[in-house]
Amino acid sequence: MRQPSVIARRVAAASVSLVVAAGAAACGPEDNDAKGSGGDSTPHKGGTLTVLNSQPQSDFDPARLYTSGGGNVPSLVFRTLTTRNRENGAAGTKVVPDLATDTGRPNKDATVWTYTLKKGLKYEDGSPITSADIKYGIERSFAPELSGGAPYLRDWLVGAADYQGPYKDKKGLSAIETPDSRTIVFHLNKPEGEFPYLATQTQFTPVPRSKDTGTKYESHPVSSGPYKVVKNENDGEHLVLERNTQWSAATDEERKAYPDRIDVRSGLDSSVINQRLSASQGADAAAVTTDTNLGPAELAKVTGDKQLAARVGTGHFGYTDYLAFNPKVKPFDNPKVRQAVAYAIDRSSVVNAAGGSALAEPATTFLPNQKSFGYTPYDPFPAGKSGNPAKAKELLKQAGYSGGLTITLTHSNSKDFETSPEIATAVQDALKKAGIAVKLQGLEDNDYRDKIHSVKTEPGLFLAHWGADWPSGGPFLAPIFDGRQIVKDGANFNTGQLNDKSVNDEIDAINKLTDLDAAAQRWGALDKKIGDEALVVPLFHPVYKRLYGKDVKNIVISDWTGVLDISQVSVK
Amino acid sequence: MSEALAVVETAGTGTPVPAVSGARQFWRRLRAQRAALVAAAVVALLVLVALAAPLLTALEGQDPTTYHPTLIDSARGGVPIGSFGGVSADHWLGVEPQTGRDMFARLVYGARVSLGVALAATVVQIAIGVTVGVAAALGNRWVDQLLSRATDIIVSMPLMIMSLALLAIVPASFPRPVLVTLVIGLIAWGSIAKIVRAQTLSLKGLDYVSAARLSGWGTWRIARRELLPGLAAPVITYAALLVPANISVEAALSFLGVGVKPPTPSWGQMLTAADVWYQAAPQYLLLPAGALFVTVLALTVLGDGVRTALDPRAASRLRVGTGRKDTTGTENATGKTPENAADGAARGAAGSANEKEASA
Repeated sequence: MRQPSVIARRVAAASVSLVVAAGAAACGPEDNDAKGSGGDSTPHKGGTLTVLNSQPQSDFDPARLYTSGGGNVPSLVFRTLTTRNRENGAAGTKVVPDLATDTGRPNKDATVWTYTLKKGLKYEDGSPITSADIKYGIERSFAPELSGGAPYLRDWLVGAADYQGPYKDKKGLSAIETPDSRTIVFHLNKPEGEFPYLATQTQFTPVPRSKDTGTKYESHPVSSGPYKVVKNENDGEHLVLERNTQWSAATDEERKAYPDRIDVRSGLDSSVINQRLSASQGADAAAVTTDTNLGPAELAKVTGDKQLAARVGTGHFGYTDYLAFNPKVKPFDNPKVRQAVAYAIDRSSVVNAAGGSALAEPATTFLPNQKSFGYTPYDPFPAGKSGNPAKAKELLKQAGYSGGLTITLTHSNSKDFETSPEIATAVQDALKKAGIAVKLQGLEDNDYRDKIHSVKTEPGLFLAHWGADWPSGGPFLAPIFDGRQIVKDGANFNTGQLNDKSVNDEIDAINKLTDLDAAAQRWGALDKKIGDEALVVPLFHPVYKRLYGKDVKNIVISDWTGVLDISQVSVK
Repeated sequence: MSEALAVVETAGTGTPVPAVSGARQFWRRLRAQRAALVAAAVVALLVLVALAAPLLTALEGQDPTTYHPTLIDSARGGVPIGSFGGVSADHWLGVEPQTGRDMFARLVYGARVSLGVALAATVVQIAIGVTVGVAAALGNRWVDQLLSRATDIIVSMPLMIMSLALLAIVPASFPRPVLVTLVIGLIAWGSIAKIVRAQTLSLKGLDYVSAARLSGWGTWRIARRELLPGLAAPVITYAALLVPANISVEAALSFLGVGVKPPTPSWGQMLTAADVWYQAAPQYLLLPAGALFVTVLALTVLGDGVRTALDPRAASRLRVGTGRKDTTGTENATGKTPENAADGAARGAAGSANEKEASA
């Protein structure tokens, strides 16, 4: 998600996805679900929920949003064929029906997917939602002027590679059929067992052709969800949503929609957001954030205050921060050198640099430590809690560097506690003990991104991170390790430049599976196999801590988004 | 307070002071300003600390880069365990949040970067400024035009933005402290060049310079023998004020992440890392901020003292080392010295002391 893209054209989407990924971080089930949902047996209906965010809801058009599971604020207005299960923890990583009656019926090899719409679905103006509107919504997302969404549809749908959208190409996409007003059929050019996950994205939102105003549609998109847009100022900086009376809870098992009004205020500094939430004064008492975490210093302050600590939610999102090697650069062409680095890593100091044990969990696998991703614990180069410099030295000796080694670590200068100087310095300190002198090359963030994602300029060793578009091993492993996704000109994410036929074939084989649990297991096994290559050194999986106002109840945080789900909260 | 008063009183005794050489006269005038003396002592101490950083940290038994994970509370964001940021016999000023690195060691090593870069950059600025200023004043019309416009351009360039741009394009292999020094030195010499040019122009018109020229001295000789001594006062004064400004710039550059590279500590870098910790671990922010504050204040007060000591008019008001009896001086000796009070930081202290004394 945060760097979701595989091809150059996807780079533009990266910035948008960042917003959503940041939005996908969160509040916590284990800390407070009992508190939130317990107590009052029936959550209070009505009131105004305030959302304090740093990133605005810009381009609030279902064609342009890049979301995981339909996003948080967007999913209040846009319903999709499927959606994420609105439950705490691991149960929340399941994909469930939304507008459709089920999560999709595949043909035998998962290249054709059929959906049937529920009965009685209506837009905010009372007109019925039809399958043709969903087809039209998807077609719009191909229009160059409405770019921003994930690239999967273009890659997966038959004959969609060069489609220019309904404004230029009136014929439409033949890969999508609508035999009747409640049925929609998708034809894919290869087996994709994870199509139901894709159908959670906002591009699967119905858009009535007669109401489409092109690029202006974002100021008032027609709602299919429990809320409609009544105000959108400064391109999503201030968004006001009010109850959509045409929405019927009978057709929607997922969204609770307790408050009458949602007031989304963005463009705020993260420290301001946390300050306002901790003060919880006036309207801020009924406020949440969907994109701002507690930083290490803020956490230190909050945990020192019992009342504040009770208002912190913890969320997990499928995400891994790691050290990446470019095996084309010496000395990292030598697997022993890469393994030596892996052995020397002190994960406890790295975790501390990332904000401590409450904000990061040490990682030895590339896949996030969640079942839905197919998490299979493994540790091919056990460094223990604080590194194994002796083993690292031994390997360096075997590699011919008994006199020590000097390498350069490239990182970003942004203050994100992920690819920032703090992490780089912790790595440097750990490698020093193994006789590896690390020179730090800190780059301005955009420069850093450009450099690491270009085959020509990719440094030998750098800090990187990856998050998935949906909680499965597919979008996590394929962009990084599928040899056919190495991009020579443009944004390349296969930074280890691995092109192993057995890996590529296994990726294809798993994509054919429609049994998502079986697929998860195979992703986990594949992750373990790739892990032995030491192309990356997993460092940590971040954990998100979020404050919420004192009048916010019914806290639900899924492992899909890691964010407090605003379709579930009630305010007093 | 009484010290400050004493300045005025000794000054007010009207003791005849014999005429002395320029340097000695300067020292006498400087010595007469207690605030400047204190500032000088502080500056000397800071330089000493910076030079002796390895010794001091060895004495403490720490170094600036070793991580101490056991001294921080990982579950609480890495806040130091213990009061005042983990102050102990082993860690005199506590440890850094998230890493447990020794604060004292980082602070004294940071002084090396902050002071070293600032002093070296000042030397570069003075060298370029004086050369350009004198050359513009003594050269022909075209040389003057060229150099003066170049100076205008340099003066009009925003220092921070230019520094950021330059630091971004230079290869990472170039040693950072030297680079930061050069960048500050090469960009911020405009004002001193302007001052020197103006001063040189006024000196050029004086009789003794004309006399030298009439007796056939070359331009270079005139510049060296006749002009430079006359320029010493404004240049030294300005230099004394440039140093603290340069410290602030270095801190700002490090704060923005383009200064010295980690793990080398610098005060600016410490401030960057510490700014979010102001509530949870205030000492982390206060230590580098306090060090920076004390250093800049001391250097500024010292600079002002130097200016006063070199300024004949201010010196006559000081009535020290002028070598002449001053009747107005005795009048002022009562302690009411309004013009003193209005004259810079050093004098300000003395003035307010007097007022308090009078009202008491």
